[in-house]
Amino acid sequence: MYVYRLLLFLVFGGYLLSPILMGGWNEPGTAWYRPFLIWGALIALTLWLEQKRKLDER
Amino acid sequence: MSAELVVVLGLGLGYFALLLGCGVAIERGRIPVRVTRHPLVYTLALGIYASAWAVYASIEFASQAGFGYLAYYLGAAGAFLLAPVLLVPIQRITRTYQLSSIADLFAFRFRSRWVGSLVTLLSLLAVLPLLGIQVKTLSEAVFHLTQSRYSDGVALLFCAAIALAAILCGARHRHQHRHDTLLGILALESLIKLAAMLALGGVALWWVFSGPQDLQQWLDGPGAALQAATPRLESAQWRTLLLLFFAAAFMMPHLFQITFAENLSRHTLLQASWTLPLYLLLLALPVPLVWWAAQSIASEIPLPAYAAYLLSSHWGVGSLAFVAGLAAASGTMIMMALSLSGMVLNHGVLVARPPEARSNLYGWLLWLRRALIVAVVASGWLFAEGISRDHTLTDLGLAAFVGIAQCLPGMLALLYWPGANRNGMVAGLIGGALIWLWGLWLPLLLKAPLPALVFIDLMPPGAPDWYTTTLISLSVNIVLLIVVSLFTRTSEGERSAAEACSVDAVIRSKRLPLEAASARDFQAPLAQALGDEAADREVARALKALNLGPEERRPYALRRLRDRIQANLSGLMGPSVARDIVDRYLPYRHDDTPGTDDIHFVESRLEAYRSRLTGLARELDGLRRHHRQTLAYLPVGLCVLGDDDELTLWNQALSELSGISGESVIGAHRDSLPAPWPALLAQALSATGAPLYKQPVNLHGRDHFLTLHKAALSGLDSRGGSVILVEDHTEMKWLEEELVHAARLASIGQLAAGVAHEIGNPITGISSLAQNLRFDTDDPALLETADHIQTLTERVSKIVNSLVGFAHGGRQALAPPAEPVALGQITDDALHLIHLARSGEDVTFDNACPATLMVQGDRQRLTQVMVNLLGNARDACQAPGRVTVEAGEHNGLVWWRVTDNGEGIAPSVKDHLFEPFTTTKAPGEGTGLGLSVAYQIISEHQGRIECASPPSGQSRGTAMTLWLPLYQQDDRPAHGQDTDC
Repeated sequence: MYVYRLLLFLVFGGYLLSPILMGGWNEPGTAWYRPFLIWGALIALTLWLEQKRKLDER
Repeated sequence: MSAELVVVLGLGLGYFALLLGCGVAIERGRIPVRVTRHPLVYTLALGIYASAWAVYASIEFASQAGFGYLAYYLGAAGAFLLAPVLLVPIQRITRTYQLSSIADLFAFRFRSRWVGSLVTLLSLLAVLPLLGIQVKTLSEAVFHLTQSRYSDGVALLFCAAIALAAILCGARHRHQHRHDTLLGILALESLIKLAAMLALGGVALWWVFSGPQDLQQWLDGPGAALQAATPRLESAQWRTLLLLFFAAAFMMPHLFQITFAENLSRHTLLQASWTLPLYLLLLALPVPLVWWAAQSIASEIPLPAYAAYLLSSHWGVGSLAFVAGLAAASGTMIMMALSLSGMVLNHGVLVARPPEARSNLYGWLLWLRRALIVAVVASGWLFAEGISRDHTLTDLGLAAFVGIAQCLPGMLALLYWPGANRNGMVAGLIGGALIWLWGLWLPLLLKAPLPALVFIDLMPPGAPDWYTTTLISLSVNIVLLIVVSLFTRTSEGERSAAEACSVDAVIRSKRLPLEAASARDFQAPLAQALGDEAADREVARALKALNLGPEERRPYALRRLRDRIQANLSGLMGPSVARDIVDRYLPYRHDDTPGTDDIHFVESRLEAYRSRLTGLARELDGLRRHHRQTLAYLPVGLCVLGDDDELTLWNQALSELSGISGESVIGAHRDSLPAPWPALLAQALSATGAPLYKQPVNLHGRDHFLTLHKAALSGLDSRGGSVILVEDHTEMKWLEEELVHAARLASIGQLAAGVAHEIGNPITGISSLAQNLRFDTDDPALLETADHIQTLTERVSKIVNSLVGFAHGGRQALAPPAEPVALGQITDDALHLIHLARSGEDVTFDNACPATLMVQGDRQRLTQVMVNLLGNARDACQAPGRVTVEAGEHNGLVWWRVTDNGEGIAPSVKDHLFEPFTTTKAPGEGTGLGLSVAYQIISEHQGRIECASPPSGQSRGTAMTLWLPLYQQDDRPAHGQDTDC
């Protein structure tokens, strides 16, 4: 259940900070795939939290 | 008709044929269940979120807002990342109460058919522009590929195929089925859509550009000016878009149904929390690639949504874009048709015209559903033809998403604010929806802007309409919801539904009695509403789901049965109609007694939610479980009854004592328990003060003596009732009887000692006279008689000594002489004495003891033992009887066995065989001391007695075996024998 709080923090934190990130994506010289890398990292983190949740509830 | 049009028709119809083939393969089991029910299939089916917007409007949006197009994907990904805290609670409610649409959920929570109908109407209006996008893109994609003027007709044909596919997938059977076929087909569509989009991305990256580095060089070089010219989304607009797509991801009717109603399990939903974002990532990746590639090719792009068709003049590239759009549009339209038809049926048709008892209720509902599916698809086509042409995909889509977002405040209140009521919900929804209609929907319809909203001055200047309308409508919605809820009354039904829906809340169900006395009594009243066939089926279905039988009478089980029937009917006809039917035809019995909390139900829910508890709640639950286990495993029987005599606890010890499992009686009324428990518990409950001591009851054919203590459960926060402690005092009762018996034995022993003393003197006289007789006659017969008299008097003396010894603590009065004695000889002597008794003439005695086998002991006393054993064996035999005496040696011990072929010894007697005064003979025929004395004598000889009845290998009879130490030449006489004191 504590994992869920971390998820909430992650998603709402991302929601608030996302405009800053998006400003960086549009800057010239930025790698075009950068948003997708960040997104991929977020998915990997969620996968890790999901595994942790399974262990917690076992 | 052009050749290109024929090819497109072939491509489209071939695509639908592929879907049909997939559906048939799943229906017929050609595809294994482990595949069709795999969590990945569910994730792919969720991919219908990516409608034609994902294929076409995303590119259009990317042309207008750059990376702002990602809001569509990231909003949905955010909703699924929050699956454990947001989607799983909704899934719990929808599964428990069989709610298949967002209108069902709101109608259930706010106990209002008006709320259900309002949400249905709002959903219908909101979804129409999205349906319009699907049809419009189908038509325009055909036009881009063929340049044919028949593209609208082809789109209509595809719409007909989609309606047919929806009916075949979701409205084919009369009864509700798991929609494996539907999920499978939607998953296939998502897979095709993803493959086509990735292929388009590949074309853009490696065909138009020469790879990622070439693309980067273009972006930093020639393309930089184009990117710099692309407008940027304001932070607030970006966040608002994220919120809109976040809400749409699980509240759009078709997405609500696929996420919750078609869900396989909690596990699959949790797995989708990362697999769906991954799917959306892959789908979002080609969008900018296609747009940049099109920009690099064409200096002017009039319709950015269809930029994919500019990538190459090769027909295959256009086909890829067409297939991606077709897969996206058809999957979305199939689910929209299914979900909206269900909502309109449950919250429109059935509310306006409730079902009457009809013989074919399921068939009637099925045909209504099919007609509504066709109507929904047709309305989408009409909207596209009449309205969508004049608007961009972005305008249409945003109007839809802002509309459905009006349900978001209600949804959050449903989960997290039990204080919200139907008045607030209706006020907020109407307020928000009116602003949305004025700001976005009516301008679409009228194709012209309406006068500005009153709050427009508060918005930043130049803000787009979708942004201002979203902010104003949601603000008004939220304020009305809160204010009206706070200042209006909330009904009792709403309160209980709010508790059922709230996160971390447990339903405090009331323990009200039902009018129906058994499960069988449910059928007739239900038939008045549903007809015989449907009533039979629904009752049987609910009984099967709960694993109950039709004879079930427990009040707790009947309440669960009622809830299950209501939930099942809710899945069929919506919660409002289901509640009306159940309340009217399966009512609770209303008497004066207030309903108490259904503790057993609350506990079962707590057990189910245990993993979700945290902090103090988890600690408290741990304590609850500890106390529960303490009571459950208490080594004394314990049961708890409510004030209505319903059992709420029946612990393990009581289950073992009574032979009645707790599971079978918890929730039952006291009177429904098997005898003798109803009367016994009633007696305990009515007793005042002192416990009921040692009540005789017969349990499983054995007599028991139970002591019952009762305590009333009262005090602060008490839910009433009584606790009864049941102690089994059977053993104690037996011990008490044994004590009395032992006291009686002691008295008899004292008496025997006195009698023995009095008998001793005359016996001595008889012995002396017999000795004198030997000197007074030479008659051999008289001499033999005198010898016998003397032998018998010696034996009487021994018995008298034994009695005296027994009375003085079980010890022999005199130490037994230790001498070598032959068992064969002793057996002969005993047989001789037995024959003198002149009874048992029909019994044959065999002495098979070896003459040489010897033990060390008292000849007289061992003879007495053998006489006792032979006497018992003789008495046990019926004519013609046979008694055999054998002996032998084994491991330094001698066994000496008397075997008869009599009736044997009853097991109840066998346990007390060697106790004094134990006898099965008629009064006056036996003292019950024979075996007791024999046991004592053999014990004094360091031996033991064993009894086998029947003997091993025989069907009847008894074998008494004496084990004695073998006499050997170097044995010394035993020392240290106790003497009488």
